[in-house]
Amino acid sequence: MAGAPERHVLFDRSPRNVRPGETLLGALARDGWPALQRSIRYHRPRGPYCGVGHCTGCLVRVNGRPNVRACRYEPGNGDVVATENAWPSPRFDVLGVLDFLFPNGIDTLHGFRRPAWATGFYHRVVRRLAGYGAAPDPSAGAPSTAPPVRRTVDVALIGAGVAGRALAAQLADAGRPVVAIDRTLHPPTVPWADLLPRTTITFLPAPAASGDARFTLLGFEEPGRGVAIRARTVVVATGGYDAPLWFGGNDRPGVVTAEGALALSAPDGRVPFERAVVFGGGPRVADVLERCGDAVAAIVAPGVVEPEVVRRASELDIPLYPRSLVLYASGRSHVRSLTVRSRGLGPRFTLACDAVVLAHRRLPTPQLFFQAGARMEWRGGTGAYYPWLAESCETSIPGLFALGETAAILPDGGTDAAARVAAAILGRPLPEGAPPARVPADGLPEIDGYYRELAREPRAGRWVACPCEDVLLEEVEAAHRAGYRGIEVVKRYSGLGTGLCQGRYCLPDALLLLSRLEARPPTDVGYITQRPPVVPTPLAAFAALAEPAPEAPVP
Amino acid sequence: MTPLARSSYRVVVVGAGILGLYTAVHLARAGVGPVLVVDRGFLSSGASGRNGGGVRQQWETRATIRLARESVEAYRAFGREFGYNIWFRQSGYLFLAETAAELARLRGVHDLVVSEGLASEVLDAGGVAALVPGIAPDACVGGTYLGSDGTLYPFPAVWGVYEAARALGVEVALGVEALGVDATGGHVASVTTSAGRVATSVVVNAAGGWSSEFSRRAGLEVPNVATRHEIFATEPMKPFLDPMVVRVSDGLYFSQTMRGEIVGGVTVRNGSGIEQGMPSSPRFLTEMARAIVRLVPRLGSLGVLRAWSGFYDDTPDGFPVIGEDPRLPGFVHANGFGGHGFMLAPAASRRVARAAMGEPVDLDPATCSPGRFLSSDRPRSAERLQLG
Repeated sequence: MAGAPERHVLFDRSPRNVRPGETLLGALARDGWPALQRSIRYHRPRGPYCGVGHCTGCLVRVNGRPNVRACRYEPGNGDVVATENAWPSPRFDVLGVLDFLFPNGIDTLHGFRRPAWATGFYHRVVRRLAGYGAAPDPSAGAPSTAPPVRRTVDVALIGAGVAGRALAAQLADAGRPVVAIDRTLHPPTVPWADLLPRTTITFLPAPAASGDARFTLLGFEEPGRGVAIRARTVVVATGGYDAPLWFGGNDRPGVVTAEGALALSAPDGRVPFERAVVFGGGPRVADVLERCGDAVAAIVAPGVVEPEVVRRASELDIPLYPRSLVLYASGRSHVRSLTVRSRGLGPRFTLACDAVVLAHRRLPTPQLFFQAGARMEWRGGTGAYYPWLAESCETSIPGLFALGETAAILPDGGTDAAARVAAAILGRPLPEGAPPARVPADGLPEIDGYYRELAREPRAGRWVACPCEDVLLEEVEAAHRAGYRGIEVVKRYSGLGTGLCQGRYCLPDALLLLSRLEARPPTDVGYITQRPPVVPTPLAAFAALAEPAPEAPVP
Repeated sequence: MTPLARSSYRVVVVGAGILGLYTAVHLARAGVGPVLVVDRGFLSSGASGRNGGGVRQQWETRATIRLARESVEAYRAFGREFGYNIWFRQSGYLFLAETAAELARLRGVHDLVVSEGLASEVLDAGGVAALVPGIAPDACVGGTYLGSDGTLYPFPAVWGVYEAARALGVEVALGVEALGVDATGGHVASVTTSAGRVATSVVVNAAGGWSSEFSRRAGLEVPNVATRHEIFATEPMKPFLDPMVVRVSDGLYFSQTMRGEIVGGVTVRNGSGIEQGMPSSPRFLTEMARAIVRLVPRLGSLGVLRAWSGFYDDTPDGFPVIGEDPRLPGFVHANGFGGHGFMLAPAASRRVARAAMGEPVDLDPATCSPGRFLSSDRPRSAERLQLG
């Protein structure tokens, strides 16, 4: 395993050891489910959720720097780690009383206006409650003082997963060098490419009108080194992520996406839960069973369960509940049970559990295409936006290609798609035959029918539409009742999608909700503009890139 | 597209931003008759939904100071008047000077502001450091501070005036574009929109960055220029910074919002024209990051959450354009605010409404009238503190 040797850190003043290759979250998860945060408005208990550096569930303070994502941080020896935004601790937080005092939510749009003389007091209190961590310590400074990474390359490949690696291999055969950029902390080496690991491209502006290397890619290498890459050709293969799900208590600690569950699992397969309910019926469930099947107590699916999952579940003796609605999760500081009802007029029942793993839906990562100004299209099969693609998998922007999950290309077509991109880059004729199969463009995703049926159920527990900003589902519906239409306006009215995850864990479901409420197709509801950066980028990383770049020829 | 409710209106306002909606509220309260507000975008899609929420009374001319001061009073009462909490926090504006010359200029502003009865202060470097925790040593020689300036949250202000306008019977048509103006006998007679032609004798151009385009559609050449300005927000933190900080040399400005984010921008020449759209640029992101990290180094590890851009509607002399165009009676300008329309909207909209009703406006024609650009004389004064 790559990574630093065993290290020792102080976590809330108690010593912990971090094994080679472990993230801070992984190390903490060895002692049980980590309680690291409270929610921003109601101070509801929160834990790790997404496992890939987007949600707010694992923000901690490291060496005086706030908002460090434990799931993306590999501690150095002697690091001082502290939880924030809770007193005395995230497990027991005095301000958790807010969750009980305001059962219908805190209305910051209309409330706190009277009496006028109390305005200053309200401002002080509400400001104190906002924000996750305190400002960086004066001594904290920049996370990295290393000079920025600057490269000028021929082909930049963003994302070195299955699809990207297939392309790198094909280009290598033709002797074309590829620079592969990957967010993963320890990606396996790509034998045919120059690999920049731990590097996130957060901004891909529209390319220059002319020039040798028209594309500029900006981003950072963890934890905070600036990265600027100029490229002649860019291939985006950033994959997808596991979608959220709305139900009562959907933000409880213990509710995680499939990626979150995988981030919590140790290399030996140990996980901080014993009886998980997995939601979903497709290949992603199989991935979860593969890694931690022994800790799965039940599989609940919104529709049918695929034969491969049925086979694995029967080997592991895991009961299946196909065609079911998840109503609510119980348990305050950690999920204890999940209440479910069979679809149609089926019975309601409760499953005891200590984790809920969401593995029902995969969504693409279209942000860079939106930033670059590529033509986008809605695909009903998943209910998401993808770039329009020519037969060569080139987007509407010459020189910008898409591959893999974020291109809506189904797994079977991955090699064929890579061959097409390689041919286009090398100036060779495209392979014969039909282009690779993509996610269906028409129709609506399975989850849309699921939510329509769920909307007829009485609600129990809090439905947190936007966990980052603690926006309740009722508040989104209130915006609609007040006459506000379209996702852009409802976002500004309710605060939905304005938090750290930039809408990843609320926007897809909100689009379907507004489509139902406004009685028009999701494409008419609009889309939240995907603004740079794709993930929060340290100021120091961008600042280091402000110096003029030395001119370098394209290799 | 929903059809318009009527074929004839007393006043048509182009632009459903804060200024257009506020104007519609004043017109409806005055009982002028049917008022239509059209906007080609969605609510808050223009600068009213893209600004940093600063409200200041430190200006280089009395005209602007007085408009700003009246607006501060209106925003203080906004919650009671409109039912929405705009979180107007009067925690001051701090202008930073890096040189003695800049400080002398700020002293001039200070003297004028004080003569208008506002309690501005001149600070030395130590006084500045007390207000900006972690400011780099030698970052400035001093500055000026006015505690009754502040910041607000723009969105609820838009919702408040939008709902008030609708409650008063104003028709707000979103997604409807104003395509042109027809005149008969030299007076405005109708407005052609993407939802049809409507008869009206008064049209108000409150289209912000799009105002010069609309003026030209009415056959009026204007000197307004739309310039794209960018802004970013960081991850939220616990309270750290109270005032809005503005640096004179490069227009760097930033404040910490009620939500805890640092929101700010810096002047980057982006070229002009609405054709360029509203993208963000690498140049802004990197230069803004460098400026803020050099000024407050401890913020280096903080993450930039998102960046966006919007249009200022600039005029040659830095003053807005308020009043009826002498070339086309019935065409009322409410534009050219140079990035400060939101902060001046409550006071400015009262004058716009009066102009739309044909009543006299208590503003110096040399600093606000559309006609001032028509004569070959150079404008007598100019508002040059167009920062932050």
